[in-house]
Amino acid sequence: MKKTWLIAKETYKRRVRSGSFLVLTFGLPVLMVAAGAIPFLLNAGSDLPVVGFVDQTGALSPPAQVERSGDTLQVQPYASIDAARAAYERDEVAGFLVAPPGYLEGEPVVFYGDDAPNMATEEALAEVLRRSQVPGEPAWPHARLTDPSERVFVALESGEQVAEGPALILRLAAPLGLGIVFALAVLMGSSQLGAAVVREKEQRSIEMIATSVRIRELVAGKVLGVSLLTLTQFAIWGVGATIGLGLALTRLVDLQGLVVPWRALVWGLLLGVPGYFLYGTLAAGVGVIAGGNQQARQLAGFLGFAAFVPFWFAGTLVQAPDGALALVASLFPLTSPTFCLMRMAFTQVPTWQLVTALVLILLSLVGAIWLVARIFRAAMLNYGQSLRPQQILRALRQA
Amino acid sequence: MNSKHALEVHGISKSFAAVKAVDKLAFEVRPGEIFGLLGPNGAGKTTSIRMILDIIKPDGGQIRVLGGPMTEAKKSRIGYLPEERGLYDDMTLMDTLLFLGQLKEMPRPKAGQQAEAYLRQVKLWDARDQKIEALSRGMNQKAQFVAATMHEPELIIVDEPLSGLDPVNTRIIKDLLYRMRDRGAAIIMSTHQMHQVEEMCQRILLIDRGRRVLYGSLAEIRKQFTRNSVEVEVRGQLENVPGVERVVAQNGRYRLLLEQGIRPENLLKTLVDRPELTVEAFKQVETSLDEIFVQVVGRELEPGELPAQEALEGEPA
Repeated sequence: MKKTWLIAKETYKRRVRSGSFLVLTFGLPVLMVAAGAIPFLLNAGSDLPVVGFVDQTGALSPPAQVERSGDTLQVQPYASIDAARAAYERDEVAGFLVAPPGYLEGEPVVFYGDDAPNMATEEALAEVLRRSQVPGEPAWPHARLTDPSERVFVALESGEQVAEGPALILRLAAPLGLGIVFALAVLMGSSQLGAAVVREKEQRSIEMIATSVRIRELVAGKVLGVSLLTLTQFAIWGVGATIGLGLALTRLVDLQGLVVPWRALVWGLLLGVPGYFLYGTLAAGVGVIAGGNQQARQLAGFLGFAAFVPFWFAGTLVQAPDGALALVASLFPLTSPTFCLMRMAFTQVPTWQLVTALVLILLSLVGAIWLVARIFRAAMLNYGQSLRPQQILRALRQA
Repeated sequence: MNSKHALEVHGISKSFAAVKAVDKLAFEVRPGEIFGLLGPNGAGKTTSIRMILDIIKPDGGQIRVLGGPMTEAKKSRIGYLPEERGLYDDMTLMDTLLFLGQLKEMPRPKAGQQAEAYLRQVKLWDARDQKIEALSRGMNQKAQFVAATMHEPELIIVDEPLSGLDPVNTRIIKDLLYRMRDRGAAIIMSTHQMHQVEEMCQRILLIDRGRRVLYGSLAEIRKQFTRNSVEVEVRGQLENVPGVERVVAQNGRYRLLLEQGIRPENLLKTLVDRPELTVEAFKQVETSLDEIFVQVVGRELEPGELPAQEALEGEPA
């Protein structure tokens, strides 16, 4: 075990200092944040404009202004399209909305302007149309008509209470999000592990190391080292995302009302970590069999996609979260972490199923390490060559 | 060490599919000797070494290492410099040695002390903070030698330890090997450099096609083959000399390998009797290991050759 840790530590240390790790870990979030922030920033700078309003139904009474997220959209009524156009040409309005004679029967309204209105203006215009139909009423009937009531769900069996809104979204999204994180981690980690093992073969250091450690210690150390590296990456991203979302949400919602989905988090870790090591071990095996870096990445990447298989069955899962498919897939070690987490979003997964899934994952992990160590012993001296099926079988029989 | 032998190999065999890479091989290596393991490419040397080191399992036979069967604990008492060499490119030399030293059960401080002592001896101390990828080929070779031996093992197996080294570095590594031998380590040196074997080894094992073809004291083996090798200096064309198996020209002289049963005086008489030749010098010489090798194995060494079946199996032997 000591040597396993030593190999894991060296593998981790070497890779965590590499340029590719730093670029991927810190560069990718910066790119993603930039991609998300640029459109927001482009919109953020623009105040709600003054718009014209032409009522051709004769039945609407547009308000003079509506409030939207602390900003005000001013509405200027015009008797005709020509008058509104003239005002637009004098730069008095940014554009004008025309409610045609058949609007109340469903005919679409038309917005005239240089650009299509942005999202905030769209929402403000919708509010203008709603209030135009029931003029003089206070704001609350509009709010109640738009969203009749918030709801609180109480699960009679568990007593769990979740309020509609961010709390419910978190309740549903947390297990699903964890499932997605698991699948992404597997996809990235598998590819890295396959390549790491090939690199080990290419650097020809294995023969020297193999005379100092047991092969299974070497395999376990490599898997542990690269897995910890991927987990570090996700931890950094996770902490960054949590802080970022936290900062964003404190302005929008009451965080005290949120319920931390502990069950999903605990079982996510219990199933996800050994499940991840299982994929890692199999990816190392793929690296052993592969002839080169590219082949290893391809094969390991293919393996990593197995973690996404549960998402193909998302529709079935939503309809029957306790059905036969859900149960079998929840117990199959390669799909159980994702399936169990996804089911938690829609149903109360029985604890015995989660415990059974965990036991099966752990047994599979031990078996995978044993299997891969056997193949590794036979394949490690095949510098630059892939292992043929008959060689794999012979290795399993003889090594 | 309790046993008189550091290594005892009793009739080990190994086949890869239909190819017998090693066939009932038996030999022993004693503490305090440098033992030459020789053979043409594909003879089964590396396969034998890998079986000794428990990297691959023999199909049959028995191997006793340092007084008993190989165990995990014994791995830290063995040093191995493989023919297929490589260290992690992105690690510094010192980190590499600390890592490999700890894998050999050395506490980190001790590994640091040993690494320093050895790096100073091989003149690599100044390169300790350089990454492996920045080292020259010769420096890399020395670094690997240090990695294989700095834990002061009792059994050392080195595969071509001197290949690619300049004379100065060759001397440094040789001196280290002699020092290890003198402190009682058993050293198995696999090489194609026959002159190095002649200089360094006390006993040798020559294998061909997985079988033992020569084994024993180098002096005894040479005596056995010396009877029929002469060096001559002649004026004239030395062609079609009866009783001569092989002629090798060397700087104006000829090394003649005589056929079995032909004595040097018979050859001298033959040469003197030839009117077109003037014999200017004639002396009996010790047969070189190179010549013995060619006689026994029946072909020249061709570096880099690899038998087809091994290429197919991916198990260089």
